[in-house]
Amino acid sequence: MERKNKRLIIISSTVVIIAALIVGLYLYAGKEPFIRTTLSGLTLGSLFFMVAAGLSLIFGLMDVLNFAHGAMFMLGAYMGWQLYTNPTFIFGMLPAIVAFTCGVMTTPLMKPFLIRWEISEKWQKNLPKIAYVLAIVVLVVAFLNFDIMELAKTAMVAMTTTTVGNPLAEISPQESLSQFWYRPVLLIISGLLIAFASSKPGVKTEFAPKEGLLKKAIVPFVLFILTIVATLVRESAPIAILLMNGNLRFLIAIFVAVAFGFMFGALIEITLIRPLYIRPFFIVLMTLGLSFVIRELVQLLWDPLAYQMVRPPLFAQSGKAANLIEWLKNGHATINISGVTFPTYRLFVIFLGFLMFAIVTIIMTKSRLGMIIRAGVQDPQMVEALGINVKRVFTFVFAFGVGLAALGGIGAGPFLPIQPLMGDQFQMLGFITVVIGGMGSYVGAFIGALILGMGRAFGDYFALKLSLSPTIAEASTVIIMIIVLLIKPQGLFGKKE
Amino acid sequence: MNEQKLNEDILIVDNINTYIGQFHILEGVSLRVPKGSITVLLGRNGAGKTTTLKSILGLTPPQEGKVIFEGMEIQGKRAYNVANLGIGYVPEHRAIFRALSVMENLKLAERKKGDFDRSADFIFELFPDLKRLYKLPGNHLSGGQQQMLAVARALVPKNKLLLIDEPSEGLAPILIQQMMEAIRVLSETTTILMVEQNFIMASQLAHKFTIIDDGKSVEEGLMADLVNDTEMIHQYLGASIKTQKELEMEHGTQE
Repeated sequence: MERKNKRLIIISSTVVIIAALIVGLYLYAGKEPFIRTTLSGLTLGSLFFMVAAGLSLIFGLMDVLNFAHGAMFMLGAYMGWQLYTNPTFIFGMLPAIVAFTCGVMTTPLMKPFLIRWEISEKWQKNLPKIAYVLAIVVLVVAFLNFDIMELAKTAMVAMTTTTVGNPLAEISPQESLSQFWYRPVLLIISGLLIAFASSKPGVKTEFAPKEGLLKKAIVPFVLFILTIVATLVRESAPIAILLMNGNLRFLIAIFVAVAFGFMFGALIEITLIRPLYIRPFFIVLMTLGLSFVIRELVQLLWDPLAYQMVRPPLFAQSGKAANLIEWLKNGHATINISGVTFPTYRLFVIFLGFLMFAIVTIIMTKSRLGMIIRAGVQDPQMVEALGINVKRVFTFVFAFGVGLAALGGIGAGPFLPIQPLMGDQFQMLGFITVVIGGMGSYVGAFIGALILGMGRAFGDYFALKLSLSPTIAEASTVIIMIIVLLIKPQGLFGKKE
Repeated sequence: MNEQKLNEDILIVDNINTYIGQFHILEGVSLRVPKGSITVLLGRNGAGKTTTLKSILGLTPPQEGKVIFEGMEIQGKRAYNVANLGIGYVPEHRAIFRALSVMENLKLAERKKGDFDRSADFIFELFPDLKRLYKLPGNHLSGGQQQMLAVARALVPKNKLLLIDEPSEGLAPILIQQMMEAIRVLSETTTILMVEQNFIMASQLAHKFTIIDDGKSVEEGLMADLVNDTEMIHQYLGASIKTQKELEMEHGTQE
């Protein structure tokens, strides 16, 4: 009973303080500056949330501090922007990636047979090693003389010009099919070798039932078909994408960025993080190193330049829309919100942030997966003991978190310069958001992100109005963190350990 | 329990060795659990009883030795695979999921869709309290209610073997009675291997015992033989545990 009363007092006093703060700021700043600053704060908060939600869930569930989250945010922006402005690079690489994945995905098909294979212990140890080495050799052969840089460069020509010229004219021809066909074939073989090695041939203690093989064959089969399709449409697909309506193209860009983030996250978790769960400190070093590798690769492919992504037509028309309907009809760049002129694209970012919060909330509270995640944050071992494959849930959560970061990246694309360091600031703020909101709580990440966003926006406002140093906006973040940690060391929504 | 039934072992643990980090926790534990029985693991604190349960399940996989469940070797398999063979686990310290409601705790334990619907009546008959608390979050439950939920969770899917770690730990005497009754009902349909420090409870429930001392299994036998073996009890279980005779005397004075 006492605990309940104490909670009630805390909640009501928080509400009173927040209400007083809002009213105070409103009266002090006046209606229009207040609305404008609040909307800016919400925009930033939405972006912070998309970074912090993943960080928070990943840390809460598996105690992994992902220092490559900012780099993954940046990758999301690059991928989305590439698809939007010149998809040559993406479609040029697609057959190779799909082919390799197709090979690897046959693991569940091979495993039930391979583990029942009678071979000596020596071969059990050495066969996978041989297969891995062979796989790498085949992989290298498959990419020999394959000019990735050229693909990336052709993509670049189109976007250094900010005006929408005619990107179609700049698409340069790719290798002809008669030259190209053996690459996907070799990549499938390389993938098959990896699948062979990771099935652990002959190891009796491994567990893989022979039932449901047909169901397990669906994924590799679909990927095989996709490999063929992707190989055939390497040149025509970029043209088709560029001929599309810009808004639709942007929607596809968002989808591609998120899908890429999701798959990239899954890949990183399975290959690099999973072997290190027993040595948590190494994970920090590994993700930090990974962020440098990603950044350098991006610089290699697209040069260390800052690019400006053209806004989709829905947000590009000059002029001011009087209301939402007029904007959606004509696609104005700005919109009138009770007397304040506000960029429509930022409104879209706010919408995106709140939509993602709603989706995450539904997943976490309504689905079985959300139940497993909430239980796993407390005790992953016990979840496993109930008969649930926790490793797979770890992979999903990591992939989901990276997908959200990639969404943040492409969301930020049209109003921030796209450059290799664009994610770093967001990663820093993401970590602070997680600390403020409480580790492992997506609600905390949301509230924390909004508070930080507001702090930034109003910091800027006060810096301008009272002619203070502009760094006050950045300092606000740290000040908020200190205050929160003094009152609640475990974060606003953190559970006491 | 007749002799023939005791011969059929659902679980055989053969000389397992388990390390946690650099520590050699189990240095050779062997035990047999006859089908349909209640077998109890006895031993001092820190002897390795909990680790034995976790090693069987694969949460702390044994580096050496064999674990055979229904004739199949299961050592080295991932815990979720082992659990899905039909082994339920009730951890010590009432490790229920505090952020989840009672309903969610039970639903999470489903292995197939509809497991909970099939077992709900049985669970609520055994623990009527849980029906009343159905929608409450786990952290609002009292210690006893949490322990009941932890046991109930293992009953949602159809299990052939239940591993129960200290079901009576920290419970009020009246709740211990209820828990004992529940375990007795369970043992009619399921084989049970449990760790129990409360010797009174252990001696009244179990058919078989295995004593673990310092990471090794040292004695195995029928519970009926142990209760009167004062010497063995004092040697391995410490002087704090009372024998049947002493208990009877105590009960006598109370009555």
